Parts: sequence; structure tokens; C-alpha cells
Amino acid sequence: MTGDQATTRDPAPPTRGKIADRLLPGGQEPDPRFTLANERTFLAWIRTSLALLAGGIAVEAFTFDLFVEPIRKGLAVLLLLLGMLLSAGSAVRWLRVERSMRNKAPLPLPLIVPLLASAGGLAAAVILVFILRR
Amino acid sequence: MALATVSAIFLRWLPQHGFPIMLLFAVATGAAAAIYFTQRRRYSASSQGMVKESVDADIPAVFWTAVAGVMLGGLGIGVVLFTS
Repeated sequence: MTGDQATTRDPAPPTRGKIADRLLPGGQEPDPRFTLANERTFLAWIRTSLALLAGGIAVEAFTFDLFVEPIRKGLAVLLLLLGMLLSAGSAVRWLRVERSMRNKAPLPLPLIVPLLASAGGLAAAVILVFILRR
Repeated sequence: MALATVSAIFLRWLPQHGFPIMLLFAVATGAAAAIYFTQRRRYSASSQGMVKESVDADIPAVFWTAVAGVMLGGLGIGVVLFTS
């Protein structure tokens, strides 16, 4: 094989697993920087969800003298539920963005942003009201 | 690292909620350990993908990380509602 043949040979097509073929069908492989950036964004959402889980634990464990039990439990469940939804929502968003990039389509709107904003605002408002009424 | 920190925070619940907390601790520690012990392979695959200009989307990693978060949230809610 000459040097010219070696340089002009097409690279072997990338092999994809069955799961990737089923969940990310069609389109073209996006720029690897975009794939990795999408993964970093997913991990940032996961960190946010872990912070919410830790916040739920903190509310339940450290606020005995601040909240009556139903409010304390309600706040903890709200934060834990939000963390749980954010974990699932971040995976869905990662998948939707990956599909959009493969098909060169516009990126989808982040539906988890209004969820986080409204539930986080509600939790902050409840805590603020109870602190001011003490 | 964040998962390891959260697993340690879960232990704060041990006096109030007892043994079920160890389940939460185990899930968080297991997920943290799985991420830690596979990060070299994933980093290597990403680096080689950058060179080849083609990176496969790591669907199983994303799926299992999300599942760990959902499990932690669900177990946490169960603990808050049913074990105090």
C-alpha cells in the first residue's frame, strides 16, 4: 500500500450499540465538542438535583425548632421531589438535545427550568414566611 | 464527589430515621464509586473521540446517573413520610 492510498482511504464507519441506534436514530454524529458539552450540561443539572436532595435532608434534619412537623415534612418532600424530577428531567433533556444536534434541528426549550424556578421559589417563600413569623 | 458528599449528609438522618438511611447511603456511595472507578475509561474514550472527531453519546452513563438521582429522591421521600 502506498502512502497516497493510506491517506485517501475512508475511515471505518463508527460502530454504535443497539441502545444508541434505538434512542438516537438517524441524523449524523454531531461535533464531539457539542456531545461533550451536552454531557457537561447534564452533569450540571445532576449536581443541582443533588443539592436539592441535600437541601431536603437539611430541612428535615435541622429545622425542628423552626417549623411545625407538617410544614417541615412538606418542605423536605417538596425539595426531594424536585431533586428527583430534575434528575429524570435532565436525562430527558440530554436525549432531546442530542437528537436535535444529530438532526441539525433547533435545540428544544428547557422544560425543567420553569419547574425548578417555580418549585424553588415556592420552597423559598415558605421558608421566608416562617422565618419572618417567628 | 457531590454524590459522596450527599451520602455523608444522609448519615445525618441516621438518629431520626434509623436503618433505612443505610439504603440511601449505599445507593449514593455505590453511584459515587461507580463513577470514580469508570472515569478513567470515559475520559480516555472522550480524548480519543476528540482526536477522531467522533464521540459516541454515552447513553448508559447518563441513564444510570439519572436513575441514581431518582432512586435517591424516591427513597428519601419514603424515609421522610414513613419512618419517623
